[in-house]
Amino acid sequence: MKESNLMILHYATALILIVTGSIHLMANNIPDIGIHGPLYLANMLIFVSALMYHAMNGVRVILIELVPTRSRAISYIILVIGVIAYLYIVSLVITLVR
Amino acid sequence: MEERWILFKVFRYNPKVDKFPHWDGFRVKVDRGTTVLDALLRIKEEDPTLAVRYSCRQSICGSCGMMINGKPRLACYTRVLSLGTDMVEVAPLKNFRIIKDLVVDFSDFFKKERSIYPFIIRSDAEEMMNPTGAYKQTEEELLKYLEFADCIECGCCYAACPTTATDPLYLGPQALNKAYRFIMDNRDEGAKLRLSVVDSDHGCWRCHFAASCSNVCPKGVDPAKAIQFLKGVIMREKVIGFKKEGTSLIKMPHCVQKEDQRSE
Repeated sequence: MKESNLMILHYATALILIVTGSIHLMANNIPDIGIHGPLYLANMLIFVSALMYHAMNGVRVILIELVPTRSRAISYIILVIGVIAYLYIVSLVITLVR
Repeated sequence: MEERWILFKVFRYNPKVDKFPHWDGFRVKVDRGTTVLDALLRIKEEDPTLAVRYSCRQSICGSCGMMINGKPRLACYTRVLSLGTDMVEVAPLKNFRIIKDLVVDFSDFFKKERSIYPFIIRSDAEEMMNPTGAYKQTEEELLKYLEFADCIECGCCYAACPTTATDPLYLGPQALNKAYRFIMDNRDEGAKLRLSVVDSDHGCWRCHFAASCSNVCPKGVDPAKAIQFLKGVIMREKVIGFKKEGTSLIKMPHCVQKEDQRSE
Protein backbone atom coordinates (compact mmCIF):
# COMPACT_ATOMS: atom_id res chain seq x y z
CA MET A 1 0.00 0.00 0.00
CA LYS A 2 1.26 3.46 -0.87
CA GLU A 3 2.46 5.66 1.96
CA SER A 4 -0.08 8.36 1.08
CA ASN A 5 -2.99 5.88 1.43
CA LEU A 6 -1.74 4.87 4.88
CA MET A 7 -1.35 8.50 5.91
CA ILE A 8 -4.77 9.54 4.56
CA LEU A 9 -6.25 6.76 6.70
CA HIS A 10 -4.13 8.02 9.61
CA TYR A 11 -5.64 11.50 9.33
CA ALA A 12 -9.15 10.13 8.75
CA THR A 13 -8.94 7.90 11.85
CA ALA A 14 -7.79 10.93 13.89
CA LEU A 15 -11.02 12.71 12.92
CA ILE A 16 -13.09 9.57 13.61
CA LEU A 17 -11.44 9.32 17.05
CA ILE A 18 -12.49 12.86 17.93
CA VAL A 19 -16.13 12.20 16.92
CA THR A 20 -16.53 8.68 18.36
CA GLY A 21 -14.48 9.57 21.46
CA SER A 22 -16.80 12.50 22.16
CA ILE A 23 -19.88 10.29 21.64
CA HIS A 24 -18.37 7.70 23.99
CA LEU A 25 -17.72 10.31 26.70
CA MET A 26 -21.24 11.74 26.36
CA ALA A 27 -22.81 8.27 26.45
CA ASN A 28 -20.97 7.45 29.67
CA ASN A 29 -21.55 10.76 31.44
CA ILE A 30 -24.96 11.95 30.26
CA PRO A 31 -27.39 9.07 31.02
CA ASP A 32 -30.43 10.60 29.23
CA ILE A 33 -28.69 11.18 25.92
CA GLY A 34 -30.00 7.92 24.49
CA ILE A 35 -26.81 6.25 23.34
CA HIS A 36 -27.05 2.67 24.59
CA GLY A 37 -27.46 -0.88 23.38
CA PRO A 38 -26.45 -1.53 19.75
CA LEU A 39 -25.72 2.17 19.11
CA TYR A 40 -23.24 2.25 22.00
CA LEU A 41 -21.62 -0.97 20.79
CA ALA A 42 -21.36 0.28 17.19
CA ASN A 43 -19.75 3.52 18.37
CA MET A 44 -17.32 1.60 20.55
CA LEU A 45 -16.36 -0.70 17.67
CA ILE A 46 -15.73 2.23 15.31
CA PHE A 47 -13.77 3.99 18.06
CA VAL A 48 -11.62 0.93 18.80
CA SER A 49 -11.00 0.25 15.09
CA ALA A 50 -9.89 3.84 14.46
CA LEU A 51 -7.80 3.85 17.64
CA MET A 52 -6.03 0.62 16.74
CA TYR A 53 -5.21 1.76 13.21
CA HIS A 54 -4.05 5.20 14.37
CA ALA A 55 -1.90 3.81 17.18
CA MET A 56 -0.32 0.99 15.16
CA ASN A 57 0.45 3.29 12.23
CA GLY A 58 1.99 5.80 14.65
CA VAL A 59 4.23 3.08 16.08
CA ARG A 60 5.11 1.97 12.52
CA VAL A 61 6.16 5.51 11.57
CA ILE A 62 8.35 5.83 14.68
CA LEU A 63 9.98 2.44 14.07
CA ILE A 64 10.61 3.19 10.38
CA GLU A 65 12.52 6.30 11.41
CA LEU A 66 14.51 4.40 14.01
CA VAL A 67 15.30 1.43 11.74
CA PRO A 68 15.01 2.93 8.23
CA THR A 69 16.46 -0.04 6.35
CA ARG A 70 13.79 -2.43 7.61
CA SER A 71 10.68 -0.42 6.73
CA ARG A 72 8.88 -3.23 4.87
CA ALA A 73 9.55 -5.82 7.58
CA ILE A 74 8.38 -3.35 10.24
CA SER A 75 5.15 -2.70 8.32
CA TYR A 76 4.35 -6.42 8.09
CA ILE A 77 5.20 -7.13 11.75
CA ILE A 78 3.03 -4.19 12.85
CA LEU A 79 0.22 -5.43 10.58
CA VAL A 80 0.28 -8.92 12.14
CA ILE A 81 0.50 -7.59 15.72
CA GLY A 82 -2.22 -5.04 14.93
CA VAL A 83 -4.66 -7.59 13.49
CA ILE A 84 -4.18 -9.96 16.48
CA ALA A 85 -4.54 -7.12 19.00
CA TYR A 86 -7.55 -5.73 17.11
CA LEU A 87 -9.39 -9.07 17.12
CA TYR A 88 -8.69 -9.53 20.82
CA ILE A 89 -9.84 -6.00 21.71
CA VAL A 90 -12.99 -6.29 19.57
CA SER A 91 -13.95 -9.57 21.29
CA LEU A 92 -13.25 -7.91 24.65
CA VAL A 93 -15.41 -4.88 23.80
CA ILE A 94 -18.30 -7.06 22.61
CA THR A 95 -18.13 -9.17 25.80
CA LEU A 96 -17.95 -6.13 28.08
CA VAL A 97 -20.72 -4.16 26.38
CA ARG A 98 -23.07 -7.12 26.30
CA MET B 1 36.38 50.69 13.74
CA GLU B 2 35.77 48.27 16.58
CA GLU B 3 38.27 45.39 16.62
CA ARG B 4 38.16 42.44 18.97
CA TRP B 5 40.06 39.25 19.59
CA ILE B 6 37.74 36.28 19.27
CA LEU B 7 38.57 32.70 20.19
CA PHE B 8 37.67 30.22 17.46
CA LYS B 9 37.11 26.67 18.60
CA VAL B 10 37.49 24.65 15.40
CA PHE B 11 36.46 21.02 14.97
CA ARG B 12 39.35 18.93 13.66
CA TYR B 13 39.07 15.39 12.38
CA ASN B 14 40.84 13.49 9.66
CA PRO B 15 39.23 10.03 9.49
CA LYS B 16 42.31 8.64 7.71
CA VAL B 17 44.65 9.59 10.57
CA ASP B 18 42.70 10.47 13.72
CA LYS B 19 40.96 7.93 15.90
CA PHE B 20 38.76 10.61 17.48
CA PRO B 21 37.86 14.19 16.60
CA HIS B 22 39.30 17.03 18.67
CA TRP B 23 38.97 20.82 18.93
CA ASP B 24 41.68 23.37 18.19
CA GLY B 25 41.61 26.92 19.50
CA PHE B 26 42.72 29.96 17.49
CA ARG B 27 42.64 33.66 18.41
CA VAL B 28 41.65 35.90 15.52
CA LYS B 29 41.37 39.70 15.46
CA VAL B 30 38.06 40.61 13.84
CA ASP B 31 36.27 43.81 12.94
CA ARG B 32 32.68 44.65 12.03
CA GLY B 33 32.93 43.23 8.51
CA THR B 34 34.86 40.05 9.28
CA THR B 35 32.88 36.97 8.39
CA VAL B 36 33.44 33.52 9.87
CA LEU B 37 34.89 32.47 6.51
CA ASP B 38 37.39 35.37 6.60
CA ALA B 39 38.43 34.28 10.08
CA LEU B 40 38.78 30.64 9.00
CA LEU B 41 40.95 31.66 6.04
CA ARG B 42 43.19 33.62 8.44
CA ILE B 43 43.37 30.50 10.62
CA LYS B 44 44.23 28.51 7.51
CA GLU B 45 47.19 30.86 6.89
CA GLU B 46 48.38 29.92 10.37
CA ASP B 47 47.55 26.23 10.03
CA PRO B 48 47.39 25.16 6.36
CA THR B 49 46.21 21.65 7.29
CA LEU B 50 42.74 23.01 8.15
CA ALA B 51 40.22 21.84 5.52
CA VAL B 52 37.47 24.32 4.60
CA ARG B 53 35.26 24.30 1.50
CA TYR B 54 34.33 27.66 0.02
CA SER B 55 33.99 29.35 -3.33
CA CYS B 56 31.99 32.52 -4.09
CA ARG B 57 32.25 34.28 -0.67
CA GLN B 58 28.88 35.98 -1.29
CA SER B 59 26.31 33.34 -0.25
CA ILE B 60 25.51 32.24 -3.77
CA CYS B 61 27.39 28.97 -4.23
CA GLY B 62 26.35 27.26 -0.97
CA SER B 63 29.79 25.71 -0.42
CA CYS B 64 30.65 27.03 3.06
CA GLY B 65 27.73 25.68 5.08
CA MET B 66 28.87 24.67 8.58
CA MET B 67 27.73 24.56 12.19
CA ILE B 68 28.55 27.95 13.70
CA ASN B 69 27.80 28.16 17.42
CA GLY B 70 25.66 25.03 17.02
CA LYS B 71 23.50 26.34 14.18
CA PRO B 72 23.89 25.55 10.47
CA ARG B 73 24.90 28.75 8.69
CA LEU B 74 26.91 29.95 5.71
CA ALA B 75 30.38 30.98 6.93
CA CYS B 76 30.63 33.70 4.26
CA TYR B 77 27.26 35.19 5.28
CA THR B 78 27.83 35.18 9.05
CA ARG B 79 29.64 38.13 10.55
CA VAL B 80 31.63 37.14 13.61
CA LEU B 81 30.58 40.09 15.78
CA SER B 82 26.91 39.59 14.93
CA LEU B 83 27.08 36.31 16.84
CA GLY B 84 27.63 38.30 20.02
CA THR B 85 29.97 35.78 21.68
CA ASP B 86 33.67 35.93 22.60
CA MET B 87 34.09 32.36 21.52
CA VAL B 88 32.89 30.99 18.18
CA GLU B 89 32.52 27.26 17.79
CA VAL B 90 32.88 26.00 14.22
CA ALA B 91 32.06 22.40 13.29
CA PRO B 92 31.09 20.47 10.15
CA LEU B 93 27.43 20.23 9.14
CA LYS B 94 25.49 17.58 11.05
CA ASN B 95 23.85 14.62 9.25
CA PHE B 96 26.72 14.46 6.72
CA ARG B 97 29.77 12.17 6.64
CA ILE B 98 32.93 14.08 7.50
CA ILE B 99 35.66 14.03 4.85
CA LYS B 100 38.09 16.20 6.81
CA ASP B 101 37.71 18.92 9.44
CA LEU B 102 34.90 21.20 8.19
CA VAL B 103 34.46 19.49 4.82
CA VAL B 104 31.58 17.05 4.53
CA ASP B 105 30.49 14.55 1.90
CA PHE B 106 27.52 15.81 -0.16
CA SER B 107 27.23 12.75 -2.43
CA ASP B 108 24.26 11.27 -0.56
CA PHE B 109 22.57 14.69 -0.47
CA PHE B 110 22.92 15.13 -4.25
CA LYS B 111 21.90 11.52 -4.89
CA LYS B 112 18.62 12.22 -3.09
CA GLU B 113 18.18 15.44 -5.05
CA ARG B 114 18.73 13.59 -8.34
CA SER B 115 16.12 11.00 -7.35
CA ILE B 116 13.32 13.59 -7.55
CA TYR B 117 14.24 14.63 -11.13
CA PRO B 118 15.29 18.23 -10.41
CA PHE B 119 14.70 19.55 -13.91
CA ILE B 120 11.85 20.40 -16.26
CA ILE B 121 10.38 17.23 -17.74
CA ARG B 122 8.46 17.63 -20.98
CA SER B 123 6.98 15.31 -23.56
CA ASP B 124 7.91 17.50 -26.54
CA ALA B 125 11.49 16.27 -26.82
CA GLU B 126 11.96 17.76 -30.29
CA GLU B 127 11.11 21.25 -29.02
CA MET B 128 13.47 20.79 -26.10
CA MET B 129 16.32 19.73 -28.37
CA ASN B 130 15.68 22.31 -31.12
CA PRO B 131 13.76 25.18 -29.50
CA THR B 132 11.56 27.33 -31.70
CA GLY B 133 10.31 29.60 -28.96
CA ALA B 134 9.82 30.17 -25.25
CA TYR B 135 7.34 28.53 -22.90
CA LYS B 136 4.78 31.02 -21.65
CA GLN B 137 4.62 31.65 -17.90
CA THR B 138 2.52 34.37 -16.33
CA GLU B 139 3.50 36.24 -13.17
CA GLU B 140 0.88 34.29 -11.16
CA GLU B 141 2.26 31.00 -12.43
CA LEU B 142 5.79 32.07 -11.52
CA LEU B 143 4.73 33.07 -8.01
CA LYS B 144 3.44 29.55 -7.35
CA TYR B 145 7.00 28.26 -7.01
CA LEU B 146 9.29 31.31 -6.93
CA GLU B 147 9.74 31.37 -3.15
CA PHE B 148 10.97 27.75 -3.28
CA ALA B 149 13.35 28.30 -6.18
CA ASP B 150 16.07 30.21 -4.31
CA CYS B 151 17.73 27.09 -2.88
CA ILE B 152 21.54 27.12 -3.25
CA GLU B 153 21.98 23.53 -2.04
CA CYS B 154 24.13 24.52 0.93
CA GLY B 155 22.85 21.64 3.07
CA CYS B 156 21.95 23.80 6.09
CA CYS B 157 18.33 22.54 6.08
CA TYR B 158 19.54 18.96 5.85
CA ALA B 159 21.86 19.48 8.83
CA ALA B 160 19.06 21.01 10.92
CA CYS B 161 16.43 18.38 10.11
CA PRO B 162 15.62 16.10 13.08
CA THR B 163 14.10 13.46 10.79
CA THR B 164 17.27 13.24 8.69
CA ALA B 165 19.21 12.77 11.93
CA THR B 166 17.27 9.60 12.77
CA ASP B 167 16.42 8.37 9.26
CA PRO B 168 19.38 8.62 6.85
CA LEU B 169 17.16 7.37 3.99
CA TYR B 170 14.74 10.30 4.38
CA LEU B 171 14.83 12.41 1.21
CA GLY B 172 15.39 15.55 3.26
CA PRO B 173 13.99 19.10 3.11
CA GLN B 174 16.13 20.21 0.17
CA ALA B 175 15.09 17.43 -2.21
CA LEU B 176 11.43 17.65 -1.18
CA ASN B 177 11.44 21.44 -1.56
CA LYS B 178 12.90 21.05 -5.04
CA ALA B 179 10.30 18.41 -5.92
CA TYR B 180 7.52 20.82 -4.99
CA ARG B 181 9.22 23.64 -6.90
CA PHE B 182 9.21 21.61 -10.15
CA ILE B 183 5.74 20.12 -9.59
CA MET B 184 4.27 23.63 -9.33
CA ASP B 185 6.10 24.86 -12.43
CA ASN B 186 3.51 25.05 -15.24
CA ARG B 187 6.18 24.22 -17.85
CA ASP B 188 6.84 20.87 -16.19
CA GLU B 189 4.98 17.66 -17.04
CA GLY B 190 6.74 15.29 -14.63
CA ALA B 191 4.54 15.72 -11.54
CA LYS B 192 3.33 12.09 -11.51
CA LEU B 193 6.89 10.79 -11.75
CA ARG B 194 8.07 12.99 -8.89
CA LEU B 195 5.03 12.27 -6.71
CA SER B 196 5.76 8.54 -6.99
CA VAL B 197 9.22 9.21 -5.52
CA VAL B 198 8.18 11.55 -2.70
CA ASP B 199 5.15 9.43 -1.75
CA SER B 200 7.28 6.67 -0.22
CA ASP B 201 8.38 5.22 3.14
CA HIS B 202 11.16 7.80 3.38
CA GLY B 203 9.46 10.62 1.48
CA CYS B 204 7.46 13.67 2.48
CA TRP B 205 5.25 11.82 5.00
CA ARG B 206 8.21 11.44 7.38
CA CYS B 207 8.35 15.23 7.91
CA HIS B 208 7.01 16.13 11.38
CA PHE B 209 6.95 19.84 10.60
CA ALA B 210 9.60 20.77 13.16
CA ALA B 211 10.41 23.55 10.66
CA SER B 212 14.08 23.63 11.68
CA CYS B 213 14.94 23.61 7.96
CA SER B 214 13.04 26.84 7.33
CA ASN B 215 14.51 28.36 10.47
CA VAL B 216 18.12 27.98 9.29
CA CYS B 217 17.82 28.53 5.52
CA PRO B 218 20.25 31.38 4.67
CA LYS B 219 18.27 32.24 1.53
CA GLY B 220 14.90 32.48 3.27
CA VAL B 221 13.43 29.46 1.51
CA ASP B 222 10.70 27.68 3.49
CA PRO B 223 11.20 23.94 2.83
CA ALA B 224 8.86 22.96 5.69
CA LYS B 225 6.03 24.84 3.95
CA ALA B 226 6.91 23.22 0.62
CA ILE B 227 6.74 19.76 2.22
CA GLN B 228 3.31 20.46 3.73
CA PHE B 229 2.13 21.73 0.32
CA LEU B 230 3.58 18.59 -1.23
CA LYS B 231 1.46 16.48 1.12
CA GLY B 232 -1.51 18.58 0.01
CA VAL B 233 -0.72 17.92 -3.65
CA ILE B 234 -0.62 14.16 -2.97
CA MET B 235 -3.93 14.37 -1.09
CA ARG B 236 -5.51 16.28 -3.98
CA GLU B 237 -4.10 13.75 -6.44
CA LYS B 238 -5.73 10.95 -4.41
CA VAL B 239 -9.08 12.56 -3.79
CA ILE B 240 -9.93 14.80 -6.75
CA GLY B 241 -6.90 14.41 -9.00
CA PHE B 242 -4.08 16.91 -9.32
CA LYS B 243 -4.39 19.19 -12.31
CA LYS B 244 -2.40 22.27 -13.19
CA GLU B 245 -2.48 24.74 -16.02
CA GLY B 246 -0.06 23.81 -18.75
CA THR B 247 1.94 26.20 -20.85
CA SER B 248 1.93 27.26 -24.44
CA LEU B 249 4.78 27.97 -26.76
CA ILE B 250 5.47 31.52 -27.87
CA LYS B 251 7.22 31.21 -31.20
CA MET B 252 10.26 33.43 -31.41
CA PRO B 253 10.97 35.02 -34.82
CA HIS B 254 14.70 34.26 -34.70
CA CYS B 255 13.99 30.62 -33.75
CA VAL B 256 11.41 30.26 -36.52
CA GLN B 257 13.96 31.73 -38.94
CA LYS B 258 16.50 29.12 -37.82
CA GLU B 259 13.83 26.42 -38.24
CA ASP B 260 13.18 27.57 -41.81
CA GLN B 261 16.89 27.55 -42.57
CA ARG B 262 17.15 24.03 -41.17
CA SER B 263 14.25 22.78 -43.29
CA GLU B 264 15.75 24.35 -46.40
